[in-house]
Amino acid sequence: MTDLAKNLHTEHMVINMGPSHPVTHGTVKFLVTLDGETIVDFDVEIGYLHRGFEKMCENSTWEQVFPYTDRLNYLSPIINNVGYALAVEKLIGIDTPERCKYVRVIVSELSRLADHLTNVAASGLELGAFTAFLYFVEARDLIWDLLESVCGARLTSNYVRIGGLKNDLPDGFKEQTKEVFKRCRELWIDVDKLLTKNRIFIDRLKDVCIMPPDEAIAWGFTGPCLRASGVPYDVRKAQPYLVYDQIDFEIPIGEKGDNFDRYLVRMEEINQSMRIVEQALDKLPDGPINVDMPEYRWQSKDDIYTKIESLIFHFKTVTGGIRVPQGEVYFPVEGANGEVGFYLVSDGSGKPYKCRVRPPCFPLTAAMPRMIKGALIADIVPTFDMIHMIGGECDR
Amino acid sequence: MSYKSNYIVGSIPLDKLKPKKVRKNIELTLWERLYIPEIVRGMYITTRHFIINMIGFVFPPEGKKRKIFTVYYPEEKLTIHVAYRGRPVLVQREDGKEKCVACGLCERICPALAISIVGGERENKERYPVTYTLDMSRCVYCGLCEEVCPHEAIVMSDEYIGLAEYDRKNMIYPKEKLLVPVARLKNRIEYVREIYGKANYMD
Amino acid sequence: MIADLIEAIAKILFVFGVNMGFFAPILGWVERKQSAVMQDRVGANRADIFGFTLIGLLHPLSDTIKLITKEDFIPAGANKLFHTLAPFISLTPALITFAVVPFGGQYEIFGRRINLVVADLDVGILFVFAFASLATYGTVLAGWSSNNNWSFLGGLRAAAQMLSYEVAMGLSIIGIIMVYGSLKLTEIGAMQTDFFKWGIFLQPIGFILFLTCAIAENKRAPFDIPEAETEIVAGYFTEYSSMKFIMFWMGEFLEMVTISGIITTLFLGAWHLPFISDERLLSLFGFAGPNGSIIMLMMANIATFFGKIIFMIWFQMTIRWTLPRFRYDQIMKLGWKIMLPISLINIFITGLVVLLK
Repeated sequence: MTDLAKNLHTEHMVINMGPSHPVTHGTVKFLVTLDGETIVDFDVEIGYLHRGFEKMCENSTWEQVFPYTDRLNYLSPIINNVGYALAVEKLIGIDTPERCKYVRVIVSELSRLADHLTNVAASGLELGAFTAFLYFVEARDLIWDLLESVCGARLTSNYVRIGGLKNDLPDGFKEQTKEVFKRCRELWIDVDKLLTKNRIFIDRLKDVCIMPPDEAIAWGFTGPCLRASGVPYDVRKAQPYLVYDQIDFEIPIGEKGDNFDRYLVRMEEINQSMRIVEQALDKLPDGPINVDMPEYRWQSKDDIYTKIESLIFHFKTVTGGIRVPQGEVYFPVEGANGEVGFYLVSDGSGKPYKCRVRPPCFPLTAAMPRMIKGALIADIVPTFDMIHMIGGECDR
Repeated sequence: MSYKSNYIVGSIPLDKLKPKKVRKNIELTLWERLYIPEIVRGMYITTRHFIINMIGFVFPPEGKKRKIFTVYYPEEKLTIHVAYRGRPVLVQREDGKEKCVACGLCERICPALAISIVGGERENKERYPVTYTLDMSRCVYCGLCEEVCPHEAIVMSDEYIGLAEYDRKNMIYPKEKLLVPVARLKNRIEYVREIYGKANYMD
Repeated sequence: MIADLIEAIAKILFVFGVNMGFFAPILGWVERKQSAVMQDRVGANRADIFGFTLIGLLHPLSDTIKLITKEDFIPAGANKLFHTLAPFISLTPALITFAVVPFGGQYEIFGRRINLVVADLDVGILFVFAFASLATYGTVLAGWSSNNNWSFLGGLRAAAQMLSYEVAMGLSIIGIIMVYGSLKLTEIGAMQTDFFKWGIFLQPIGFILFLTCAIAENKRAPFDIPEAETEIVAGYFTEYSSMKFIMFWMGEFLEMVTISGIITTLFLGAWHLPFISDERLLSLFGFAGPNGSIIMLMMANIATFFGKIIFMIWFQMTIRWTLPRFRYDQIMKLGWKIMLPISLINIFITGLVVLLK
């Protein structure tokens, strides 16, 4: 035996996987040490999409930050908008009108839907199930069409404002949503049939990269990945914001914490999100969507066009930025990937003194080496998909 | 490693959290382990889509060109919702002059620093932008310029075609290139008045 | 003598023409369009001549022109000889194998016996396997000679996978050989006149095993781990460009045609129509005179044969676009722990039945 080991000379192979590798999407690099097909060592290098978000925010007024937040998790930009707006509102201490809250819930859930659809679709694609990918991309596109009719853009929504929203839902939105959801459900059933019971797909995901609940908590997991480990933690339930406490929905949890659980949790969350949107649309009250506080929310155009005081004040708030009281605040919302938190410090000037984001996929990406060691090179694909690292959010 | 009660975060009771186990009945039966039934089922789904779409190509449903929702882009174009934010344009008054009064609010609010204005005065003491430059290579189409404009002078049009260029120099749009007659922007101006109107604000 | 030569050349030209001239270019189009329609898409339809797109049929042409005019790149440190040789080695077997596949029966026209097969070898099916296993060398050489880690991994995977499935594939058709008692593909084909005597009914398990192994041999999804694009970029042909790249693709498509041809011959009743015997057809074509009716029968048989091939290609493509990809260890497990025992059991049972009969 010793002779064999001595004579049969083997050595580890070190491979750079990415950033221009089909699975890393140009946003991350893995330094993989391979023993044949088995991963011996794994190193994640991030930072390819670093734009200096936090520093940029320090140099722009509170309102100007919104377009930047679109680019954090670019699959569900509105959730970032909502999170930032809620954090600032908490710092100021204002409450938005009821309708605004409902609309915020609706658009957040629609973006969560788009995010999960993309994620499941992309996982299917990267495991070779191209058809499932395109079915869900169709569903996602329909939802983006909906969002486009609300915000004016599919991806860079820039929809939420401090103390309100950019605009109200368009006419006939409820009927359109109903139609879109009908098609989404059809496609969901098709994809579910194509993947969930497919032995090949299950074999690829099951028992791969297991994360036990205590370890998941220790690593700082949130969102679907934490719930897949069996911990029923959801910011929407644990610290209800907006009107999530008035809406009936369930938190899907997994049992084992493997990739298959993560997939199932996401598939179920798609359903739950659709339920939330439908309920919110049913309960949607009439009324205004913006607070009437010219010092925090830009005034209505009617006032600006007609009243000189309003116009002067408008100039003041736009050029100087709104004066958010001194203090610091942390506000988490449930992003598509987990807890998106905004930690803001205000020094009373028109700009944030510090705007720190807690990206949900940073801890998840950090746990990649822990999960992947000992697995095969092909397991990188589903694990990285289920981690769902978004470069824009992770690197900021 | 099943769910344990000590992992509840905070003091929220379980019935409020409503956890739903998603992994139930997921163990495969022998029938499903055989690969073949599931493969056949998968092929049934894809073949069904194939046949439905093929029929949709030959006999398109009413009011549509084909069953699938693809749009053949250069030949066909999407109907764009009025909310869509395309290229920002300057409103041109009926007398051919720009509506802008060079107040500089859009220049101030632009998060991408794409706008630069040099203001001036006409003979009748009317302020106007001597130059109004919009760097389209920087513009992020956020629509904040439209939102802050106190004079309905800059709006987001529905144009999205022909914005790509081979040379960055061509992407810096001077005032002349930005001006669009007010008649063509009626819809959008009305929409802007509506969404930022008094009705959307609390009393 | 000269007539023999002409007949042989005509048959070779026919097979070569159908494969290289029809199937190789058209399958690229079929793959794109079929997958597109399955997935609620339109598929490639932009290439045009004077505005005529011909539902995308011009794409294979434009692709070919594009790829031929591209730089033929050989990476630094690659073994030039093997790097150049590899695509030829993987393309040729797919073409040669078709020589023993009969695309029609035997006919007497103007007093001449015409056997519609290029080479009617006694060891027909063994010839197929002999050449199919040669294709392995193409992939392994391509992976090895490219001097690229991903290619190298792809080549290793290809070697392991193709060798494993070679075994199960060889064993899976022993059953059919036992049933028909011949290695000659023409004889096996001729014996399947009755619909219920088709190989698929006599050897259903053998059919599934052979189809699976054949897809695995051809490295198409769900068995495409040697070229799994999300894992190892493009596997063994990562470093290939231009004409050599096309040759790998053509090799894959032609192998698909060959597999369909062999499956048709062994399991799907070769050139016979179901429920309609050749005699019936002959009497139907009686109006064209003795020779004319035979020619028409021949045409009908060839059409039937290629119709079945097209069906099998459609089938393989549907599988390819429906299923996700296996993992390396799962493929090995499937090959050695499931396919091999089942094929052995299949042989055993078939042998028992044949013996007791």
